[in-house]
Amino acid sequence: MIDWAAFLVVAAAALVSSAIVVSLYSLGLRLLTTAGRIPTVDPAEFTGAITVLSPARAAKEAKKARKARKANPLTAGQKRLALLGGYACFTICVLAVLYGVYLIIPALHS
Amino acid sequence: MDFSLIVALVIALALIFDFTNGFHDTANAMATPIATGAMKPKVAVGIAAILNLVGAFLSTEVARTVSGGIIKEGDGGIQITPEMIFAGLIGAIVWNLITWLRGLPSSSSHALFGGLIGATVIGVGAQAVAFDVVVAKVILPALIAPVTVGIVAFIATRLAYAITRREQGKPDGRGGFRYAQIFSSSLVALSHGTNDAQKTMGVITLTLIAGGYQAVGSGPQFWVVACCALAIAIGTYTGGWRIILTMGRGLTEIKPAQGFAAETSTAATILASSHLGFALSTTQVASGSVIGSGLGRRGSTVRWGMAGQIALGWLLTLPASAIMGAFAAGLALLGPIGIFLDVLIGTIVVYILFRWSKRDRVSHDNLHDIDDAGHVVKIKKTPRKTPRKDREKVEL
Repeated sequence: MIDWAAFLVVAAAALVSSAIVVSLYSLGLRLLTTAGRIPTVDPAEFTGAITVLSPARAAKEAKKARKARKANPLTAGQKRLALLGGYACFTICVLAVLYGVYLIIPALHS
Repeated sequence: MDFSLIVALVIALALIFDFTNGFHDTANAMATPIATGAMKPKVAVGIAAILNLVGAFLSTEVARTVSGGIIKEGDGGIQITPEMIFAGLIGAIVWNLITWLRGLPSSSSHALFGGLIGATVIGVGAQAVAFDVVVAKVILPALIAPVTVGIVAFIATRLAYAITRREQGKPDGRGGFRYAQIFSSSLVALSHGTNDAQKTMGVITLTLIAGGYQAVGSGPQFWVVACCALAIAIGTYTGGWRIILTMGRGLTEIKPAQGFAAETSTAATILASSHLGFALSTTQVASGSVIGSGLGRRGSTVRWGMAGQIALGWLLTLPASAIMGAFAAGLALLGPIGIFLDVLIGTIVVYILFRWSKRDRVSHDNLHDIDDAGHVVKIKKTPRKTPRKDREKVEL
């Protein structure tokens, strides 16, 4: 029969690890945004599922982002701290990916 | 060493199966980054192909244990013959092509097991199949894996949105999830390479051992590893665009944060399961996480009709490929003429399926044709909860 204990361990491990990685990356994005470095990544190709803006509209959005940046209530020091925190989050995410690669390659851990 | 004709045929068929496995499973890793525009379609399948190629060389652990248990072979048990493997592979390939034509992400390994089981039942007898192992290792995981990973992806998506949520009108930087998607989907592709090419290697090695060309208990030879790696990489690069379309758009609309949450859940679940010795199907895990992330975002809809079709496809995979494998095995029992008939019928069926696929071609260059490319849309920053009466409509 099915090994329920093993299954529960798998489910718990998957839940905990993906929750941690996703939270950290989200937190990193949040801190970047707070620090005024709003990451804007344009989609590589138009797809139906995503927002596509006309040039005029995009310029308006960019202006809004600039304004939001200027209106940032944080001091320079706080911004730097937030930025550092964001980078720290991303670093941990990179380590998580490397750990994933380590788990995939049996030569590294057996 | 000189190969008998049947061994050569099995190796050729195994490589064809490996190819279909590759293009069937491109969607698992790359449907979500393509859907959110994190990568261009051709770039995405190119990366997936390279990672599958690399992955196939990294590990041969799975190859050593393939089919072990499900079909009782060797030492006192019933010896599986190359003819049976041949028949099983035909069943698996035909089923893979049928599901591809319907755009259904179905598990290639289940098709392979189904084909082998069907062929073994006809060729040797039902007592040669360990049905309790089939239930425990194939059927039950197929039911619980998508649900489990769906819950994981749901929670991950909720977290991603909750943490990046800001006041209305302020930029939230969620486009940044596109960078992360490149890495999370690559991780899925790499782990796929270390798993799925191995199954074909295992089949070829099993045939070589059964045919007496290789010592019992030895691992796959280098040329076998190299051929399988190439076959799955070429298959992946060809890209099963129909299945990518289903996974990337058919189930739910995917946005970068969702895509990242879904891929991370897929990668985490597959890594945890293969590491803790509880094998789960990549395809089922990936589909489950896409549905989970669709449920996790406010204002998104999951197309349950499509999800139901996919689930039906999963249920049918094992019996359908078993029936086709059994049919092929029945013919193969007639001797060389039967084998010839098998090859002939198989070729005709594959040809018909390909002709059929030409009628509504789906490929990387027309993947988004359904969209009005000049259409300029702006999605509200904080979408309202979609009223029930509008749920079925596709938001543009």
